[in-house]
Amino acid sequence: MNPTLSELEAKATREKAAFGGDAHIVCDNLVRIYKTEGVEVVALQGLDLVIDKGELVAIVGASGSGKSTLLNVLSGLDVPTAGVARVAGMDLLSMSPKDRLRYRRSVVGFIWQQTARNLLPYLNARENVELPMKLAGAPRKERGRALELLELLGVADCADRKIPEMSGGEQQRVAIAVALANSPQLILADEPTGELDSETSEQVFEALRTANRQLGVTVVIVTHDPLVAQQVDRTVGIRDGRTSSETLRREGAEGEIVAEEYAVLDRVGRLQLPRDFMNALNMERRVRLELESDHIGVWPAREEPSDEQP
Amino acid sequence: MRIPLPARVHAGTLAVLFVLTALACLLVSGLPRATQASFDRALQRALDSAPAVQSDLTVAGETRSPREDLHDRAAFEERERRWRALLPAALRPLVTGAGHMSAKTSLTPVTGTGGQTYINLGWLSDAGRRVEWVAGREPGAPSAMRFRGQTIPLFEVGVVEEALGEMSLRVGQVRMLGESDFAAVRITGVFRAKDPTDRAWAHDQDILHVTRLLPPGKLDFEFHTTTLMSDAGLAALSGGARNLTYRWVLPLDGRAASALALPGVNAGIAEFSRLLTLQATTSAPYRLETGLPKLLGDFDAALATARTVMYLVLAGLLAVALGVIVLGVRLLTDRTDQALALARARGGSLWQVAGAGAALTAAAIGPAALAGYALAWLVPGPALPVAHLGPAFVLVAGVGFAAARVALAHRAPLRERRDDVAAARPSARRITVEVLVVVLALAGAYLLRARGLSAGAGQDPFLLLVPIALTLAAALVTMRCYPYPLRLLVRLTARGRAAVPFLGLTRAARARAAGGLPVLILLPALSVSVFAAVISDGIAGTQRLASWQRVGAPIKITSTVEIPAATIDRVRATPGVEQVVTAQTGRVQLGYASESAEAVAVDVAQWRRLLDGAPVGLPALPGGTSALVSPELRGRGTLDIGWQSRVKVTVRGVIDSVPGFRSGGKFLVLPLSVLTRPAVNTLLVKGDVAPAVLARLVPSATVETQEGALAAIRDDPLTGAVRATLVVVTVALGFYALVAVVLSLVVGAADRAAAVSFLRTLGLSDRQARRLTVLEVLPMVLVTALAGFGLGLGLPAALGPGVDLSSYAGDLPVGDYSPDLLTPAALAAGLAVVAVLGAYAHTALNRRRSLSAALRAGELS
Repeated sequence: MNPTLSELEAKATREKAAFGGDAHIVCDNLVRIYKTEGVEVVALQGLDLVIDKGELVAIVGASGSGKSTLLNVLSGLDVPTAGVARVAGMDLLSMSPKDRLRYRRSVVGFIWQQTARNLLPYLNARENVELPMKLAGAPRKERGRALELLELLGVADCADRKIPEMSGGEQQRVAIAVALANSPQLILADEPTGELDSETSEQVFEALRTANRQLGVTVVIVTHDPLVAQQVDRTVGIRDGRTSSETLRREGAEGEIVAEEYAVLDRVGRLQLPRDFMNALNMERRVRLELESDHIGVWPAREEPSDEQP
Repeated sequence: MRIPLPARVHAGTLAVLFVLTALACLLVSGLPRATQASFDRALQRALDSAPAVQSDLTVAGETRSPREDLHDRAAFEERERRWRALLPAALRPLVTGAGHMSAKTSLTPVTGTGGQTYINLGWLSDAGRRVEWVAGREPGAPSAMRFRGQTIPLFEVGVVEEALGEMSLRVGQVRMLGESDFAAVRITGVFRAKDPTDRAWAHDQDILHVTRLLPPGKLDFEFHTTTLMSDAGLAALSGGARNLTYRWVLPLDGRAASALALPGVNAGIAEFSRLLTLQATTSAPYRLETGLPKLLGDFDAALATARTVMYLVLAGLLAVALGVIVLGVRLLTDRTDQALALARARGGSLWQVAGAGAALTAAAIGPAALAGYALAWLVPGPALPVAHLGPAFVLVAGVGFAAARVALAHRAPLRERRDDVAAARPSARRITVEVLVVVLALAGAYLLRARGLSAGAGQDPFLLLVPIALTLAAALVTMRCYPYPLRLLVRLTARGRAAVPFLGLTRAARARAAGGLPVLILLPALSVSVFAAVISDGIAGTQRLASWQRVGAPIKITSTVEIPAATIDRVRATPGVEQVVTAQTGRVQLGYASESAEAVAVDVAQWRRLLDGAPVGLPALPGGTSALVSPELRGRGTLDIGWQSRVKVTVRGVIDSVPGFRSGGKFLVLPLSVLTRPAVNTLLVKGDVAPAVLARLVPSATVETQEGALAAIRDDPLTGAVRATLVVVTVALGFYALVAVVLSLVVGAADRAAAVSFLRTLGLSDRQARRLTVLEVLPMVLVTALAGFGLGLGLPAALGPGVDLSSYAGDLPVGDYSPDLLTPAALAAGLAVVAVLGAYAHTALNRRRSLSAALRAGELS
């Protein structure tokens, strides 16, 4: 049975008490401002996000909505300006550069959109996978894991091939192996299928799902690709630097996938109404709310003059 | 753990870096060696060409009591060993050859000649080697004789050939010496020098020649000669009764001299002198006689200037070479940027990333520095500290820059450049620093001009700092200011219909500060090479001037006696001779007093024709009884001179020098017609004729040519070294400037390719794309070339008082810099053209890149 809005509200307030208590990824009111000599760009404007361990989550949003910034923050490459960002219990704001390095080495792995940016072209696949291990100073005997990972992701035959000798899909799967090299708890992928055709995308996504299921790694994918977005358990929508909606998928009684879209209510009660809803009812500037016994009604402002209507 | 950055992936860039570094190290390590070697050669020549009496170390001592007399050769040799043992370490390598010893009396009068004739007693340790006996026999042991009731020693001596005639001496003669303590000499033989040119004779001119002196107020000459006695004669020679001086000559070997050791040698001489005075007793004081300190002092003065110029251009060269290497390193780090960023993001620590960048750079720079350093060993010359430190510095600077740049770039693991976040204007801090540099440079230049060179202070660091600061200031001003006039141009082109000029100039005007590095390299490269060219030109011009000053005509024939008219006609008739001007020189009496002056009687109008086109000249002389006089004779109006007859001449002008004759003192130039019977002793010849031919025609004369004088001035090793270094540095800087332009183009290639590709999707043609690139680079190259040209021309003027190059230009001050702008202008223009051609070629080569690849490259960068 679908949870009612009040149940969701109850859940939201419950989580508020221990926001991100035992969750794997916790972002609370996360803010990231890019600033150079007086010019400011606010990329994240108080984003909230909670992802549990072992989840496979897609993040979708329009270009410039802050998806990539969020991913950079979570991967430890970028430092947020304010708010809370916690991954596996580590606070990403107060981390020292040394801790951040250790975090990047052993807690998180990531995959960029551009296949060429993920891999060093003059090394073969195995060497590329071994690179993060070497950087982290892993003992030599652990490096056999590189081949295991390539095998797991179905690209074992590429082990001794140089990067330009592989197809785009193979490159991305090797990139996933590289991200998994140091057994991270979390993998972040920024549009991993952005440059691939649908069939290859499927393979790459399958590889990510394999990592998620077999290695128990939490996977967060930023994507535009509806194919990917429709296959994950949870899709988080981001708009203007805030999480705006969530789509949950679960198996229905007959084995069919049921997707339900929710709006996200933040800790102070802010809610983003979907733009097409607002447009349909011509909602602007203010709306009227009415609390009913089991829901809240949102009405267009009655006194609004209607002469602007076509 | 190291990050794999295979060298072969970046082979091209590494090869460029290798060549640049090897060349820089070769120059930085080799040029100081070559110059130092030439300094050494110059010092050796200065020492060798100086008279031995000036350069050798002579220990002299008078004996004043019979107890201090040395009566046999062994005693002399014992003393010589003692002096050699006292030699300070710095002098030992210089004093290697066998010297000689002498004992000579001075002012020993022949009894009863009233102080007119002096026969000194002398002994030379190496007489057997240096003289041959031409008459009589070698002197033997002394004996004794009775004279005026006393027993006096009778020395057997030999006299020089010259004394036989001059002093009426003959073999077998016995002469009494002394006025109170008597001695006698019997002349047993006559000698002459086996080799009169032997340097050792400089110490014993009194033995080799009869000295004629005209004492003040006397009418008759005094004659002095010094005889030679045998070793046995020493037994009877005593300082008790005579002025007896012993000398030990320690000859200096100029070939072992090194300009580097000069301060040590000077200190060594002072120390040796002090040690000698400590050896002295009251009755036998020993002292050091040598002209070495003055000789070395003169040389040092010339050397100081050469060093200053050398260090100036070498510092400029090093700075430019480093700049270009830094540009190369920048290219390399740009190319490895992506791999390093990936490694950094995937968990590489800052140390690992910076280390990888530095290691890759070192892979090229390290072997290159070694190769350059090793090659520099092929350059003959002593290795100065800078020869070792220079390559090390290049290595450290290159690798350090790579490490620092990589570390700065990857300090944060993710570098995200957002197009929507851009700096609006330069920071106040930067502007303050730039203004400070400019103000300091100008103040420094002003102070240097106001103060001049601190004489005798050795190297003047201020002199080195000011040009560097001026160059930096000019570069900063250029970088800061050149977009402004460009924006005006852009406005003009915006109205025009053609898109390419507008786009190209706009891109040039909006170029980021990344364009600063080429400016920082190009400007010093141009200014130093123009500076070198100007100095080189200045020296060449002044050398030419000095040669004309020295000779006064293409060929000058000077005779000691009158040249007969028939000979003059023969000279005129010699094939190749175009013009002959006759002149008479002599010493003339001024007025009726004892004042005299040097006079030149010559047809000035003809002489002026002869000097047509030469850098020297004379004012016109109307003829009749007019004269040109030296500044010392200024304002006398009419001069009454005695030359053959009494002549009254009117002063028509004052000149500083008469080319080829006088440059100082009292002199006058008169028309040849003033003389009643001219006795021509000088011919000024113009024409293409061998000096040897003329010398045969006029046997009594010496023939000098202006070209010969010029060659003599140029032949000086110091001068040659300065000019050669300037030429090498100019060429090297030209090369570096070219490389700087090409490298900066390559550094910005990806960015430019993206822009051009974008424009080509809008319909830009290939030709237009090439023109666009050229237009984009052109303003920077042109403005920098102009600024560098101006700075290079201005530097000699700014440093004028600090750099005295007169010792390289025949002792004329090099002051009039650059009457000829051609060389520097050609240099600047050539460089600009080559730079533009480089830009054109670069775009032409890039044509092969596909549009999509370029666009993708732009996206990624």
